[in-house]
Amino acid sequence: MALTGTDIDTNPQIARDRQKAEAAAIAERLPPLLLAAERIAATVEQGVHGRRRTGPGEVFWQYRPYYAGDELKRLDWRASAKTDKLYLRQLEWSASQSVYLWCDHSPSMAYGSRRDLPTKSARAQVLALALSSVLARAGERVGLLGHPEPPSAGRSVTERLAERLFIDARDPSKAPSVPPQADLPAHAHALIISDFLSPIDSWQEVIARFAARNVHGHLLQVLDPAEQSMPFTGRVRFLGMEREGDVLMSRAEGIREQYLERLATHQQSLRDLARHAGWSMTVHVTDGPAATSVLQLYQWLAADRGMRR
Amino acid sequence: MNIGNLSILAPALLAAFLALPILWWLLRLTPPSPKRVPFPAIRLLFGLIPREETPHRTPWWLILLRVVIAALVIAALSHPVWNAGANFGRPGPLMLVIDNGWAAAPHWREANLAADSLVDQAAREGRDVMLVPTAPALGQTGLPPPDRLAPPQAKAAIANMAPQSWPARRDLVIEMLGRMADNNSLPTDLNITWLSDGVGLPGDSDAGLAARLDKLGDLRIVGPRDLPIILRPARIDAAGLKIKVERPMVGAAQDVTLRILDHDGRTISLGKAGFAASRNSVETNIPLPLELRGRVGAVMLQPGVEGDTGQAGGIVLLDDSAGSKPIGVITDNAAAARQPLLGELYYVERALQPANELRVGTVATLSKQPLSVMILPDGSKISDGERAALAGWVEDGGMLVRFAGDRLALAADDNLLPVRLRQGDRVLGGALSWSKPASLAPFPAASPFVGLDIPKDVTVNRQVLAQPDIDLGGKTWARLSDGTPLVTGTKRGDGYIVLFHVSANTAWSNLALSGLYVDMLNRLLLLAAGVPSTGQDKTTPLPPGQIIDGFGRLIPAPTSLTPLSATDLKEQISGPLHPPGLYGPAEGRRALNLTAHLPAVAPLGLSLEPLAPSTAVDWKPWLLLLAALLLAADIIIGLVMRGLLSRHRAATAASLLIAGLFVIAPTPRALAQESDSAPAAVQPMTDEEIIAAADSTHLAYVRTGIPNVDATSRAGLYGLTTKLLERTSAEMGDPVGVDLDVDTLDFYPILYWPIAGSSGTLSDRAITEINRYLAGGGMILFDTADQNVVGITGGLGPGSMRLQELTGGLDIPPLAPVGADHVLTRSFYLLKDFPGRWVGGTLWVESSQNRLNDGVASVIVGSNDYAAAWATDDYGQPIFPVTPGGEKQREFAYRFGINLVMYALTGKYKEDQVHVPAILERLGQ
Repeated sequence: MALTGTDIDTNPQIARDRQKAEAAAIAERLPPLLLAAERIAATVEQGVHGRRRTGPGEVFWQYRPYYAGDELKRLDWRASAKTDKLYLRQLEWSASQSVYLWCDHSPSMAYGSRRDLPTKSARAQVLALALSSVLARAGERVGLLGHPEPPSAGRSVTERLAERLFIDARDPSKAPSVPPQADLPAHAHALIISDFLSPIDSWQEVIARFAARNVHGHLLQVLDPAEQSMPFTGRVRFLGMEREGDVLMSRAEGIREQYLERLATHQQSLRDLARHAGWSMTVHVTDGPAATSVLQLYQWLAADRGMRR
Repeated sequence: MNIGNLSILAPALLAAFLALPILWWLLRLTPPSPKRVPFPAIRLLFGLIPREETPHRTPWWLILLRVVIAALVIAALSHPVWNAGANFGRPGPLMLVIDNGWAAAPHWREANLAADSLVDQAAREGRDVMLVPTAPALGQTGLPPPDRLAPPQAKAAIANMAPQSWPARRDLVIEMLGRMADNNSLPTDLNITWLSDGVGLPGDSDAGLAARLDKLGDLRIVGPRDLPIILRPARIDAAGLKIKVERPMVGAAQDVTLRILDHDGRTISLGKAGFAASRNSVETNIPLPLELRGRVGAVMLQPGVEGDTGQAGGIVLLDDSAGSKPIGVITDNAAAARQPLLGELYYVERALQPANELRVGTVATLSKQPLSVMILPDGSKISDGERAALAGWVEDGGMLVRFAGDRLALAADDNLLPVRLRQGDRVLGGALSWSKPASLAPFPAASPFVGLDIPKDVTVNRQVLAQPDIDLGGKTWARLSDGTPLVTGTKRGDGYIVLFHVSANTAWSNLALSGLYVDMLNRLLLLAAGVPSTGQDKTTPLPPGQIIDGFGRLIPAPTSLTPLSATDLKEQISGPLHPPGLYGPAEGRRALNLTAHLPAVAPLGLSLEPLAPSTAVDWKPWLLLLAALLLAADIIIGLVMRGLLSRHRAATAASLLIAGLFVIAPTPRALAQESDSAPAAVQPMTDEEIIAAADSTHLAYVRTGIPNVDATSRAGLYGLTTKLLERTSAEMGDPVGVDLDVDTLDFYPILYWPIAGSSGTLSDRAITEINRYLAGGGMILFDTADQNVVGITGGLGPGSMRLQELTGGLDIPPLAPVGADHVLTRSFYLLKDFPGRWVGGTLWVESSQNRLNDGVASVIVGSNDYAAAWATDDYGQPIFPVTPGGEKQREFAYRFGINLVMYALTGKYKEDQVHVPAILERLGQ
């Protein structure tokens, strides 16, 4: 079957494959990302973060003298042979960190001001998948915020996430514009990708709730160039995309500066919120390359480890 | 109101221009409708107030565009006309005197346009129109007084007028005006335009008419500058085709091309005639091959050379007999004379056929036929009575060619000989002779054979010898090397008697084997005068077969015209009662030509205004079109400005709009052309349709528009086609349904026309097409399908009554019941009756004495519902029961269908007597 340009845009299967391929291409260029984790979430799954205690793991931790009642098969025969005493070999308990991703699929994300730009929603999915791929390669567990399934690790996790994200994105009208109430384990990581255009109060509430559980968070704001610069002129009736109503501007160019001011204020408030919670915030504009923003996040997540250690 | 050349017909509407500034102000005040933009960050916009207080306005150029649209509409409604011309000077109605004689045909289109524009002007000024044609209509001897017509009626009447093929009669117009004046029905203060053909008539009727019209009102006389070239009747003689071409003007050398057509209208040759600069007539001689001479039917001026359409003076017809030299071969025993390699007829036939028309028979049968040459071989005996008949025929202009032989050598005292013969024959090179076979000497200078090559191997073994007479040398056309005559000939009366002193076969000489034999016979044919006219057919009335219309085309003659006798035909001046054309039975039609008695074409001796097409241009539709296009552009601009149309879609829409402009622009003119040429045009088929229709033979049925009748017709012809494929060698394609109003019928040998229950009448187009189809060799089977009713009640069935009213305008020949010896009873199967779904109905065919088309009937009428009997479904199973005969009757219905198709495809050859013995034997059982 010959595919035309519109087919590629409208056929959901093809759009999804394209996003996955783009995410994979970005992720390939980065080494595996081991999260900066000062305190590991209290999960019991095996991972690569050493807990500095004996437990299940692969790295040698210490020898311990044999006491009656220990299983004979746990004796380390080589160490025992050097002396007269019998020793047991103990390993360090290693655990994995969990990362929870959340992608905004609300109607406002389904916006691309020009035909050659992806919608914000599509770009957000690419970013989420690229990061999950990098994380999964380091053995971290990745899951979706608000989904009942626990985070999981392994190569196939990116594939599963892609499917899930795709199903969520299919019906934007039902998607919430802020992350849902969810019980994250303490000390888990959360990555929230949205346009953050909902009122600042709703975000304050969400971030406060997560921060209360010692969740480390990262905000990634995805904006369209039109939202960044307000290029409209003339008599324009602006229509809200989430039933906010509409507003008629007799000269759109006359309100540009005021709009940019308001946008800057809004972003500053978000940044302040993040800083108070010990979180980070990055802005991505859809006419820029996705790889740059992934790299920024990568560096931030990797550097966080050093800072916190 | 007039501004220069521009006339404004509704000036009051121009006041609306005053409203334009108000419109401008209103448009300026109204803000443009906003673009609608979805925007996610709309929350940030709530409550924002633009710093600039001046609201966004519609751009000035868009306002200008809209004001221009309004101005165009106002201008269009005020109805401006460019070059409308001066108003009529008199208060009375407009009278158009239109010359529609033969000479008007070359400029008919211009005259028509001029008349149209005058009627338009009359319509604008609210005047009535009176149309006065100057040539009487077909079959009329006078002109009716004109009615006062409203302009639309006058336009329709003008569109229906056509030039006639006879001269205009201006004296009749004067007479008619006189009658009207006597009745006081002649209005005064007329505005008269005389659209003349520019050709003057003998007598003083031209000036008389101008004076009479001038008394009635303002008279303008309009006429073309160039007058038609005419052809005088042509004749065919030994040198070829002789024809005189005349032109009305002198001054420059001019070449015209002549097209020579056969009896069916196909071009068979082209000729040229060149006028010298100072001459206005030229007689040209077009050489024609011998075999083409018999086929010449007409000569016409090549259309287009004179830059106009054909005209009745530019075509001359020839008698069917002109140029053809039918040959009779006298024999009393054709079978013996045709004996291969031995018979005399065997050699004569091979020498003369197929280039010539050869008839074989006894003197009695041949003398009844029009013949130009008779060949009398030695083998047959002729009585004294026959001899006298032949002698009389030769005196009238026939040529008798005789061959010597044993019979002639014994009885030399024959009066049908060019020279006196000696008793007995002379043998050269025989077993008891020292002499050798003689060869031929060169032809004498006065011989018709001079110039022919003499093959060296032609020798003569035996000959008859002539008595030495004083004029023997002059009568000797060919001699042997020893000086004795081989061919002698003499003129007797208007004809010739020629004697070959050898036999027609190889018994006496090997001349019959050489090409010289053929060449000599052909030279003799050239010498022959043509068919001598006999007294009998001079008084027989000849009905018109085809007539020439005003554009020089042959059309079927209406049956209302009176026949002409052959003698009258020669002297008859063609006119509305006897239009030029072909008169008489199918073989032996006589030509009546317009130009035979036409005076030389002279210009009209009155001062003429040039016949120029009107230059008036009505601007109203163009202005409205422009306004509509600008409005469409405005809509596109509006959609773009509101953001409802993306830019590249806007570009597409704009290009569509421009493309639409080019499509629309030529349309008014194209429409005008179509409406002008519509009456004569035949619906053209595309090449693909023609190829599809002609690639194989199709049975066809007429679509009546009634679904179940059409389905039955189709199924019936499908069933018949299947049977034809199974049983005969006819390779038929799928049956075709034709719509008489649209389709061309020429491709179908036979048309099945179910009359049952159909409604409506035939359109003019359909009638013309059917008549053309029937005249051109088509065959129609009308099926009234009402035998089930008629068989019980008797009388006329509904289908027959319907048939009568439906075919009123068709040229249906007289019909007669099919006889027991008709070809239809034996063209494939031997049949006694012709059942269909019903039995008993009479089958009617064209009566035998009225046959054209090789004697094949063109119309067959039956009532037995044939298609229903033939109809099969997709599995080959019959659809309708046949009564009362069951499947056997169906089989006979198929046999009738096969016979019918065979009859249509193969003609009447089964009518020959060849099968009579076998047929008699089978009928006797």
